[in-house]
Amino acid sequence: MAVDVELSPPAIARIRRLERIWEEPRGVLGWLTTTDHKRIGLLYFFTTLAFFGAGGIEAMLIRTQLAVPNAKVLDPNAYDELFTLHGVTMIFFFIIPMTVGAFGNYLVPLMLGARDMAFPRLNAFSYWLFLGSGVLLYGGFAASSQAPACGWFCYAPLNTAGYSPGHGVDFYALGLIFNGISSTVAAINFIVTIFKLRAPGMSLNRLPLFNYAMLAVSFSLLFALPPLTIDLVFLELQRKLGFHFFDVAHGGDPLLWQHLFWLFGHPEVYIIVLPAFGIATSIIPTFAKRRMLAFPLVALAELLVAFIGFGVWAHHMFATGLATTTLVFFAAASMMVVVPSTIQIFAWLFTVVTGRPEFRAPLLFIGGFIVFFVIGGITGIMFAAIPFDQQTTDTYFVVAHFHFIIFGAAVFPLFGGMYYWFPKVTGRMYHERWAQASFWVTFVGTALTFFPMHIVGLLGMPRRVYTYPSGVGWDSYNLSETVGAYILTGGLLMIFANLAWSRFRGPVAGADPFHGGTLEWTTTSPPPPYNFPVIPEVTSPYPNWDPPDRERDRRRLERGQLVLDAGHETTASTVRDGLLDEILEMPSESWWPLVTAACITAIFAFLLTSHFAIAGIFALTAALAVVGWHWREPEEPEPA
Amino acid sequence: MSTPSNTVLQSPTGPVATGRVAKPNGLWGMLLFVATEATLFGTIFGTYYYLRFTNAEWPPAGVPLPSVAVPLLLAFVLAATSAPMAVLSRAAQAGELARARAALVAAMVVQAGFFAMQVNLFEDDLAKFQPQGSSYGSIYFTMLGAHQAHVAVGLLLDVWLLGKLARGLTSYRVVAAQSIAFYWHFVNLLALLVVGAQLSVRV
Amino acid sequence: MRLWRPRLSAEFLQWFGLGGAALVWAAQHVIGFGATIARCGAGGARFGIDLHTWELATFTTALLFVVAAEAAAVVTVLRTRGVAYDGPPPEGRRHFFALAALVGNLLFLVVVLLSGLSTITFDPCRQA
Repeated sequence: MAVDVELSPPAIARIRRLERIWEEPRGVLGWLTTTDHKRIGLLYFFTTLAFFGAGGIEAMLIRTQLAVPNAKVLDPNAYDELFTLHGVTMIFFFIIPMTVGAFGNYLVPLMLGARDMAFPRLNAFSYWLFLGSGVLLYGGFAASSQAPACGWFCYAPLNTAGYSPGHGVDFYALGLIFNGISSTVAAINFIVTIFKLRAPGMSLNRLPLFNYAMLAVSFSLLFALPPLTIDLVFLELQRKLGFHFFDVAHGGDPLLWQHLFWLFGHPEVYIIVLPAFGIATSIIPTFAKRRMLAFPLVALAELLVAFIGFGVWAHHMFATGLATTTLVFFAAASMMVVVPSTIQIFAWLFTVVTGRPEFRAPLLFIGGFIVFFVIGGITGIMFAAIPFDQQTTDTYFVVAHFHFIIFGAAVFPLFGGMYYWFPKVTGRMYHERWAQASFWVTFVGTALTFFPMHIVGLLGMPRRVYTYPSGVGWDSYNLSETVGAYILTGGLLMIFANLAWSRFRGPVAGADPFHGGTLEWTTTSPPPPYNFPVIPEVTSPYPNWDPPDRERDRRRLERGQLVLDAGHETTASTVRDGLLDEILEMPSESWWPLVTAACITAIFAFLLTSHFAIAGIFALTAALAVVGWHWREPEEPEPA
Repeated sequence: MSTPSNTVLQSPTGPVATGRVAKPNGLWGMLLFVATEATLFGTIFGTYYYLRFTNAEWPPAGVPLPSVAVPLLLAFVLAATSAPMAVLSRAAQAGELARARAALVAAMVVQAGFFAMQVNLFEDDLAKFQPQGSSYGSIYFTMLGAHQAHVAVGLLLDVWLLGKLARGLTSYRVVAAQSIAFYWHFVNLLALLVVGAQLSVRV
Repeated sequence: MRLWRPRLSAEFLQWFGLGGAALVWAAQHVIGFGATIARCGAGGARFGIDLHTWELATFTTALLFVVAAEAAAVVTVLRTRGVAYDGPPPEGRRHFFALAALVGNLLFLVVVLLSGLSTITFDPCRQA
């Protein structure tokens, strides 16, 4: 419904009732017990930003060490620890929780027309688990001064006790198993929410593209995390209990580690980039002022990238000596996986070209994203050719490729999305000119940091080296990359300074400053705890561009239909066709998610320090917490 | 269980579904959880076969072949508990509390017996060869141990459900019964697959 | 001879059109890759696995299913011709998924061809 219309006293009374039912306690208590998906999204946002800062500092130390040949800023072991931590932090503690936990959590229920996620307490639980895993990992490194130094992929046999004594690799393994629980639980929550909690009328062909991306990401997480978990369990069994999985002498195989790791690792990179696609497909129609061209193909492309992405893993192993007949499956799939992304690129470009584009900051970031994604995609496709890959594997050419994708293609849309949804989340508008300037500085910094890596890689510079000799022709490229990194840091600081300043001093934005198409723009900025005063009814994927439907919503608010002000309720739909199925009573604020997550953190902490009995006691308390969590049941729905 | 009266609504596509048509959220949650656990086991089975085909001798010299009769019988006995679990699920949905409780108890007894026997067999195997001796031992005991862990979790879920059903049937508890029954169908299927993998070495 | 023509529901055709090719490619991929690991590994020699036969079998089966899925997608698109992709379900939803499947299945056709044709011609265990 339109937000600025006059409402009758009964309608206003209904809204007041909703406010009373849905409001959460104020202050720290409210945040600790929250089950509101928007608050949880914000918790994820700020926590992941802290990890982004840590990963960024690690990157700057690496680049500073590599600025000139034979530098002595870092010794080799410190360098190895830093690039390991940089990878682990950026992937597991920044990008996934930011895209899925922050953007996903905040926006998915709003775009679906729901009042919360399907399992609100499970949502809080996944956040507290994430926080616990991050604190455990970094706390462990700090307390013991031991960090893993094996790279984020930590290959066998380097990861075994013989070559990596000490606790670093154990922190890595247990920390990531722990982190994986958080993501798995979140994925289940997203899938059930997207399947079951859609507004009436939102059949699968009317699902907004951002939600298609989140659905693809969630299924990917569900199926990609188990191989990693098993790989890490095998590793710890080998390190701690002397099992044999990866050592040839006792019938193991180091390649087993790689197969299992990349079975996770490749879908992981699509998990990283898919939400970025979702953000791009949300921003483009708004600023091009038209629907996404070839909407069904774009939706399918998002699902296809995730699906085919499970079949390409051994392209990370083209240089390991496997048979051609083994590798050819992966070369073929790797060549094909680029096609859905290409479909999307053409759809995005043609949507902009055939629309009436307004190049405000969010769209500029998407423009930068497209530039980096095309270049990164081309180098990716080059790797699908086995002979080329065998020449460039383990060189800086690979580093260039994946940073163009991870930074250029996954992170640029994040900044675009931060600007785009900033008015919705805060109720204030960011400073436009400053935002556009921050784009250009970040763009130049990114290009200068990562483009020369292609050249220096082709000139033979290997990856993961703590320094390099002078006079081989790599010096000027490395120096420009470091200069670029400092410029990039400047650009990032400009972005965050803009957001921080505008949060307090920006002009009031209103509900719908950009005239976006999806449901979050139909409600106030920021949205009330209950999201919508009346559950909307949709007849297209761009409900905010359907004024008759919004008018019908307002009339239903007046009549009291689907306002659901009798309790803490939202609607459930059928899966395929989005027909109204039942009214659900949702849980409100609770201590159980935090308590259960704390118990599980304790389990992992004591496993890390080999206090197995105490870990067992905390397992018992976690089980009791789960029983407590499920003690109270929702009210029985009334019979017809 | 149907929608309260303030939701009479003619959606643009026609009348709304009255009385729940779609699977309940809790059951969907369990389905997806099972999907991720199934992937976990798929990875374990994949590892078993990968190690098998990359090792010339499997099992390695000095390691006895697994016995056939007892593990196979036990797996079938556990798989048979899918019948009372199906009765539990259906009885709960039909509101027949006594029948549901009886089916649950019957299944629980057999499942607990299976668990105890399996622990026994596990210890017997450990006396004959160790995971620390070879990759065969490592994957063998990991595979069996992972399944046992899932049986143990299933038993805990049974106990919890029995506690809930002791105080009557609600729509929440019906969904719980359906979900836990589904979890057991998964664990029971796994029992057959695990014993199949275990015994495939005799092929 | 009377040909028995089962009446396949519109719903089945839509889902088979969308998922059939994808699932059969996944099967060809896993079985095909698995067969090479089995054949070329140290423990596989004694089973006498004829790699080319396995790959040919999975390749031809996959091709058949991909073509069938594409046919199902075409039939569904034609039957829902007049409906907009965001039209009311179930017709609108079927049109939407069938349109998507129409393009997606071509992709799977190419992947199946690429991997199948190479594995039935290459030397079984030669290192890359």
